[in-house]
Amino acid sequence: MAPKKKEKEEPKPAAPKPPEPEPPKEPEFDPKEVQIEFTAEQIEDFKDAFQLFDRTPTNEMKITYAQCGDLIRALGQNPTNAEIMHVLGKPKAEDMQSKMLDFDAFLPMHQHICKAKDRGSFEDFVEGLRVFDKEGNGTVMGAELRHVLATLGEKMKEEELEQLMAGQEDANGCINYEAFVKHIMAS
Amino acid sequence: MHALVSLCYTPLAMKAAVLIQRWYRQYVARVEMRRRYTWNIFQSMEYAGEQDQIKLYNFLGYLMDNFTPSSTERNLISHIFRENEVCRDAEWERYFSYENIDVPEIYSGPRLTFPLTVSQVADLVEAFKNKQQLHSRYVLQLLLEAWKLLRILPNVNRVSTCQSKEITICGDLHGQLEDLLFIFYKNGMPSLETPYVFNGDFVDRGKDSIEILLILFAFLLVYPGDVHLNRGNHEDHIINLRYGFTKEVLGKYKLHGKRILKLLQKIFSWIPLATIIDQRVLIVHGGISNTTDLALLMRIDRHRYVSALRPPKKKSPLSGGQSSVDSEFDNDSVSNLSVYNKRRSSVAHGNNLFGPRDSFQRRSLQDFSAVVNRMAAEEEQEVKQRQTGAGLHQTGFMHPHHRDLNSSIASQSDHIDAVDVDDEEWKQILDLLWSDPMSQNGCLSNELRGGGCYWGPDVTEDFLNRHNLQLIIRSHECKQEGYEFCHNRKVLTIFSASNYYEVGSNRGAYIRLGPDLVPYFIQYQASDMTRELSLKQSVGRTERSALKALREQLFVHKTDLISAFQEYDKDNTGLISLNDWATAVGAVLHLDVPWRMLRSQLISLSPDNMLDYQSWFKELAIKEPNVECVEQTILETLYRHRSTLETIFRIVDTDNSGTISFEDFRQTWKLLATYLKMEISDEAISDLLVSIDSNNDGNIDIEEFMEAFRLVDRNRLERGRSVFVPRDKPLDDES
Repeated sequence: MAPKKKEKEEPKPAAPKPPEPEPPKEPEFDPKEVQIEFTAEQIEDFKDAFQLFDRTPTNEMKITYAQCGDLIRALGQNPTNAEIMHVLGKPKAEDMQSKMLDFDAFLPMHQHICKAKDRGSFEDFVEGLRVFDKEGNGTVMGAELRHVLATLGEKMKEEELEQLMAGQEDANGCINYEAFVKHIMAS
Repeated sequence: MHALVSLCYTPLAMKAAVLIQRWYRQYVARVEMRRRYTWNIFQSMEYAGEQDQIKLYNFLGYLMDNFTPSSTERNLISHIFRENEVCRDAEWERYFSYENIDVPEIYSGPRLTFPLTVSQVADLVEAFKNKQQLHSRYVLQLLLEAWKLLRILPNVNRVSTCQSKEITICGDLHGQLEDLLFIFYKNGMPSLETPYVFNGDFVDRGKDSIEILLILFAFLLVYPGDVHLNRGNHEDHIINLRYGFTKEVLGKYKLHGKRILKLLQKIFSWIPLATIIDQRVLIVHGGISNTTDLALLMRIDRHRYVSALRPPKKKSPLSGGQSSVDSEFDNDSVSNLSVYNKRRSSVAHGNNLFGPRDSFQRRSLQDFSAVVNRMAAEEEQEVKQRQTGAGLHQTGFMHPHHRDLNSSIASQSDHIDAVDVDDEEWKQILDLLWSDPMSQNGCLSNELRGGGCYWGPDVTEDFLNRHNLQLIIRSHECKQEGYEFCHNRKVLTIFSASNYYEVGSNRGAYIRLGPDLVPYFIQYQASDMTRELSLKQSVGRTERSALKALREQLFVHKTDLISAFQEYDKDNTGLISLNDWATAVGAVLHLDVPWRMLRSQLISLSPDNMLDYQSWFKELAIKEPNVECVEQTILETLYRHRSTLETIFRIVDTDNSGTISFEDFRQTWKLLATYLKMEISDEAISDLLVSIDSNNDGNIDIEEFMEAFRLVDRNRLERGRSVFVPRDKPLDDES
């Protein structure tokens, strides 16, 4: 599903901030407040995908909390982990594998994520990587990118980084980031 | 890294990092989604494909029911039911003799001498690694030696961990020699220090089944106390006709292949049924049922059960002709649409997916026509009379119950009221070799596979308690990661054939089990190609393969699909909505696949989400130019029952020459057509013949015939290219 059009955001003033992004100061997520704007066709599509993730023995149309983020992403959104936790109602770590949600509970969560602004586009992504292009030549150092992604923001793990970078670095350990972005977005 | 440190605190850098991370996680989720539905497609089709087996047996049963012994049609097929002409073992050994087979000077492969030594076996493995073939003389000799050994083994191997440190357990190998070689490389070859259990399904599907068998038997001969084999459902000569092993052997051993196969037919029945480790862990190929009784299993004569065809059941033969295979499903398709929307979980569902069963005259492997074996028994009786006259006595092959059967049959009675012990024994074996676990409690018969059960966690619990066991290790089902636990970690599936569906589709795995009886897993993907493919590429490749197979299925059901679409399109607009398309396709194909999700790969919709289904079909596939004269419904039938047809041809081809005569071809088609309640004129059959007989010698080459009717994708057919599309065309150029 194509991401919604982003709105250009002003770069924030350069005030030093801690490495972790602060969670948005929103009130708790209330599914009842969410207005479902999906079409019937879209909802059918979501059901199809939901079923694919349903691992219950009797196909009860339920997924675990842990799967919720994956499903939303598989449907074309790209929320942060924090946003996912927010719509799930900030569950405890041990709940993630044990608590289940059904399709009706899932739908407002998905709608909320879909409505969120600033989803990011190809250009945003390229801009994001350009930050690390010290020489301004269209490439970033693979090692540097790994380091950044492992230490900043919603840190990525070793295996995730391996997967991301597989076959992307050239002989000098550089990545042409426009090609890289195309590769990621071409799924 | 001074520059880097300052970057860490730039909000822009952080925003960039978060953005990348978000996008990456989306990418991964989408790839995972594609992987899942691709897996889903392959599994659905594999299970659906196994239905073909049932169709085959049904067809054969139909023949038996409806043709008198003298009729030519039945003689075409009946010979496979003749249960190893009754005679002494000594006569068998003469038949399988290898001594008169000369090995030419130029043969550069291993020359085995018996008793085998370890270094000879190592050389054998090396030879196979170098793609050499073992000469048929040595094949027969090795098999005979193996047979002698297998005959004295008990039904259940007993193994202990105290003598050696750890036992290695391998699952299905399915002729994939690469995987076995990899296991040996990583884990060491079988030896006194490295005992192995091989849990069945050594053959079929892959292309090096005979080599795997020879290696396993060779190791069994040199390390009889440290190599243990369990029989799988594919160690069965009739299954082999269908799934490729027969073809492989006949292809590799043109002169002596038939003899080798006949010997293997017997050897398979002598392979033990299960292995128990330390009296605590049961290893068996399929699984169990709620009636599995180990004590009984240890007592039976396992070698009497040569194939999934079993001794007669005491029922009156099915009245009238059997309904056509296809109509079995049609009646329920509309009324059970909701059922088809259920998704398969990783553990096979046990629910009644195909609607009420009592309305079908469905035959499972357990329920074969009484007439089949009555006929076989009649022949046996003849032979027996001959032999009694000649003063020979029978060994092993005539169970007391068979004799009783003969006498009652001689009196033309179809009803046998006494409890048939063979029945129960046969069910025990079928359950061991064919069953699958399910998540729900209970025990249902396994309609999908046609044999064995689906068994639930309660059955596992009860079984383990009753027999004082703690774990069941089984195989039989392909698993993404090569292994999978279920039933509260009391059942473990181990599958050793990596890339089973397609390169990159799954890993294989094997188990190491020490005295603590805690399983450790080693996973692998034995292919040079997979190392070079990124996750996305490997998913992409598997996905393309799955979709290709799916398109083929759509094509072969075109006639039924159009009828189904027309139900939704009463105004005859030629258009159908997406929803209706998905529902109709699911109902007709009986494939539990996420059709809506796949739509972008399969169809193109108009802006208002409608599909022009007629032009869709035109785009879907093209017939080979030669076969345009062949009518659509015949073509579809041919595709749909392709594997059954091929199997039947191979059965008809009694001398295993790879060809059958026009007349036999014609007869077979007429039979199939009658059975399927399909009209096929003599002209139509002639059309088929004309389109394929390139030699004009009055014989049909089976391979050529099957090849000519392979589906070709319009996009891939170029002008002037050869009519025959090679089977292993690489899937690289598709976007």
